[in-house]
Amino acid sequence: MLLLKSIVLQWLYVGLMAPFLCGVIIKTKALVVGRVGPPLFQPFYDLLKLTRKQNVYSQTTTFIFRCAPVVVLSSLLILSLFIPLISQPAPIRFAGDILMFVYLLGIGRFFLIASSFDTGFSFAGMGASREAFFSCFTEVAFFMNLIILALLAQSISLSQMIGASTPLSWPLFGPALILVVSSLFLILLAENGRIPVDDPATHLELTMIHEVMILDYSGRDLAAMLYGAMLKFLIFAGILVPLLVPVRLGQAFPDLLVFTAGLIAIAVLVGIIESIMARLRLNRVRHLLLAAFALAFFGFIVTLWSRL
Amino acid sequence: MMTTWINASCILVVFLALSILASYRMAGMIHLFAAQSLVVGLVPLFLRQFSLSQNDLMIVAITIVSKSFITPNILFWAIRHVPTRAEVKPLIGIGASLLVSALLIAVAFWVAASLQLPGLSKSNLVLPCSLAAVLLGFMLLVTRTRAISQVVGYLVMENGIFLFALSLFDAMPILIEMGILLDVFVAVFIMAIVVNHINEEFSRQPMTLVRSKMGENT
Amino acid sequence: MIRFAWQVPFGEFSLKLDPLNLIFLLSIAVVTLCAGLYAGSYMRAYRGVRSLAAHAFFFSVLILSLVLVVTANHVLLFLGAWELMAVATYFLIIFHEEKNSVRRSGFLYLIATHCGTFCLLAMFFLMAQAAGSMDFDRIAATAFSPAAASVIFILALLGFGVKAGFFPLHIWLPHAHPAAPSHVSALLSGVAIKIGIYGLCRIIAIVPTLPDWCGYFLLMIGVVSGLMGVLYALGQHELKKFLAYHSVENIGIIALGLGVGLLGRTHQQPFIAALGFAGGLFHVLNHSLFKALLFFSAGAVMRKTGTGAIDQMGGVAKLMPWTSGLFLIGALSICGLPLFNGFVSEFFVYFALFQGLLLFPLKSAAFCAIGILSLALMGCLALACFTKVYGIVFLGEARNPDVVTSTRSPQDRGLDLPAGMFFPMLVLAGLCIWIGLCPWFIARLTWQAGTYLTAVNPAFISGQKIFSALGQVIAVSFGLLGIMTMVLLFQRIGSRIAALPRRETWRCGFSGFTPRLQYTAASFARSILECLKTILVFRKTGSAVLGEFPARVSLASGVHDAAEDFVFRPFYGRLRDLAKGIQKNRLRYTQVYLIYILFFLVFLIVLKFR
Repeated sequence: MLLLKSIVLQWLYVGLMAPFLCGVIIKTKALVVGRVGPPLFQPFYDLLKLTRKQNVYSQTTTFIFRCAPVVVLSSLLILSLFIPLISQPAPIRFAGDILMFVYLLGIGRFFLIASSFDTGFSFAGMGASREAFFSCFTEVAFFMNLIILALLAQSISLSQMIGASTPLSWPLFGPALILVVSSLFLILLAENGRIPVDDPATHLELTMIHEVMILDYSGRDLAAMLYGAMLKFLIFAGILVPLLVPVRLGQAFPDLLVFTAGLIAIAVLVGIIESIMARLRLNRVRHLLLAAFALAFFGFIVTLWSRL
Repeated sequence: MMTTWINASCILVVFLALSILASYRMAGMIHLFAAQSLVVGLVPLFLRQFSLSQNDLMIVAITIVSKSFITPNILFWAIRHVPTRAEVKPLIGIGASLLVSALLIAVAFWVAASLQLPGLSKSNLVLPCSLAAVLLGFMLLVTRTRAISQVVGYLVMENGIFLFALSLFDAMPILIEMGILLDVFVAVFIMAIVVNHINEEFSRQPMTLVRSKMGENT
Repeated sequence: MIRFAWQVPFGEFSLKLDPLNLIFLLSIAVVTLCAGLYAGSYMRAYRGVRSLAAHAFFFSVLILSLVLVVTANHVLLFLGAWELMAVATYFLIIFHEEKNSVRRSGFLYLIATHCGTFCLLAMFFLMAQAAGSMDFDRIAATAFSPAAASVIFILALLGFGVKAGFFPLHIWLPHAHPAAPSHVSALLSGVAIKIGIYGLCRIIAIVPTLPDWCGYFLLMIGVVSGLMGVLYALGQHELKKFLAYHSVENIGIIALGLGVGLLGRTHQQPFIAALGFAGGLFHVLNHSLFKALLFFSAGAVMRKTGTGAIDQMGGVAKLMPWTSGLFLIGALSICGLPLFNGFVSEFFVYFALFQGLLLFPLKSAAFCAIGILSLALMGCLALACFTKVYGIVFLGEARNPDVVTSTRSPQDRGLDLPAGMFFPMLVLAGLCIWIGLCPWFIARLTWQAGTYLTAVNPAFISGQKIFSALGQVIAVSFGLLGIMTMVLLFQRIGSRIAALPRRETWRCGFSGFTPRLQYTAASFARSILECLKTILVFRKTGSAVLGEFPARVSLASGVHDAAEDFVFRPFYGRLRDLAKGIQKNRLRYTQVYLIYILFFLVFLIVLKFR
């Protein structure tokens, strides 16, 4: 019963926070270039609007196309339960949950890529190819970071690895943590298709990966896909925040405020990066991701050195 | 507490060296190099826990000024006169050189682990990071084809050597001062190389080719 | 455990059941049963065309020899059954003997397996000589010197590695699998290559004093086989060849598990050792299930379309919805995704590697890190591979109307393949999901086998850590299923799906679209392969499209097997030249050969009575 309560509360928080963060990014981008921008809650209205629209299906598609939004959204919904809200422990936590974490992302990716083939259109196929390509880099870099965190925290449970209840000591692990945080931030940008990797603002021309794959979706399916993307951003940001903020107040509510502030700070940072940078050329993206890996690898070496 | 700062700045030095390796725009490289030099210049302060003699303070000041302001500005001046502002075709691709440099870092740490030097605690990252910076600078030097990026590679290497010398700060301060002198010498040397290379490039390439290369990179 | 023993000439005929061969017997039983059922209707097309009796005979011989190999408790019996297996497999592979390529593939297999057997003979005689007996139990009781153990391990890796398909020795696999009929490919990939793994496990079990480097070496073999296997698979655009290379990848995962197990054994960490071994063995069983399923469905697709070329297909899901669904289950399992069995065994291996990372000394921990990273990369690349195949073959529209010819009305809900083929596939798919959602029974079996290989009293190893984690994994899997149902219900409630007619895909306003413009498998894989062209032999022929009014050009790209092109072919070439040289100079009198024999005899006598 306690578990059920914590699940419901977590979903309530995450579910409301995810579109809000998306709104924060959009607002930041608008403010940086001197516009007023849409209201912070615009993503909510957009999602609500989409749920009232009808789905249009192409005659080429099969059941995969209809399954994909369901699988993507549900895998991300359950993934959001892996994230500890600092001192509010994650509803799902056990030794080895990180493996489940990565492979649940994988199942969503499988259906996303398959569904973009399902439309029978080469543009979506291109997006799928890039997603598969870049995910190889991000996943390896992500695992490299997980290895470092496992070594630092001596645990293979996500909540302990990112130091949810007792933070990892920055004075002690500082050098490795700098590298982990920067590497994870690059992974966050890549996994969510944010700007140096992909441009989420449009559907054509500038956008080459994620939005291309969901090009043919409409109505509730599109809402599910977009909501999934928002959740994914929150999940990755939620991994970063406990690492970055080494303060734990010890009580659920003030810590939640700290966590929220951390999430918003990351969203603002992403918004600023989106405003001042251009999307990288596609063949440069892998250099960025390899840099993320190299940083993490360096962190691994430093960690091993400190255990020497 | 000081060890944390020293370690963090050492990490930053290698981090920035990696970023230089990952970037292909020359302006970006120079900015990163300037940042790296600043960090390197600050390390003596941490090593001596901010209690430096007048003489040492002078050294720190000269280092920072010469390496993170004067040299980058010379380089910026130089790239204003270069037709291509980005690395065109590195000998080894950026991706591969990143992976190789990750391995080089591992090698540097391995060497440092087996190297016994006086006056260094095991947990100190100065020695391995300085070696890593030297190796990464060398990597940059050998893989890049543009004069400016080669010079940046050389300078990164030089930063690594400086850091290496700092790790022996207590033992032989004279070496540091010699290092500074070497820096000044290097700065002059670089200018010569840069100007020379640029002239060479201008005389070798007809302007049309230069144009087409510009188009390729913008 | 049960034990039979009775006397036959030349040794002892003794069989033994233990937790280790139980796993292999289980996979043999399931896969051969399904393959037999499948073959019943798959081979119906050849009835009357050619004699199926020989095929059926060798099929039965193969099953018998497989069972004998894994249960044999005596060197001679093992080797005899091993040879019987090799020969029976050869005859099964060359079913389409009229094709030249099939004969060549079969021959390649025969050569490869005999090279392996040669190493095995040497190894077993070394062991028997040291132990003074040919009985496995006696050999196991012998203490080998580190040098002898090293030599035995190398010979075992070579001999069993050829059969299992470790990376540089895998070259027969991608030739034999496409040549054989589908159910034979399934048997080969699902069971026969696992016998190599079994042999290796048996050596690990009976030589408990393997030196340190063996664990590292096996781990690295796993890394290399896994990565190269999956990369070659990504570059393959022929369905069965693709699956064959994937077997190399999965063998790599198994070797990773066994490698970390060995490391755990040398570092006195029985939990990690048992976990690693159990993970590897679990993957043996799982791989036999989903690979058989994939080969069966590939066979059904190839039967329908008449080709194995992935880029010629497209839209097969509309033609064969049932097959497509079953293939999807196989694909999801082999990618190691949650809800399916592949995830459970990969979870074991990952868990062992992470435990090793935390508990081993520095050097071994670094090796574990390499293992984790490569396993992650394999997972990603496998996902890319199977989305490629599933997407290109089953989804989209038919690329070549000559290949995907017949159409099927959406109202037709009947089976798209004979029930005799469908049923075994359904069983295998059901087993994949069963192990994925309720792995307890199999997990305990493999855990027992893992503790058996650890060579420590099982009472001292507590599996509580892994089993509680597994319980959570299963709970999350069911949670995922529950959420999926909820989301599905939400998607359907109140949405008026039927109201809108189905339209064409929106093609961004581009009107001159034909199905041939769809993305191909080659283009999908290109970005990854080109990035790795320094490691892979990635070749492109043809030219790019240039100019405003481009001429007709063609572009083909593919990956060549480096081990085959650069190691074995030149080596064979050299060998053939040598053989020709000898042939030219040979003496044409029989007596000369008799003289050789005489000399050898004298040499032996002198050696003996020296």
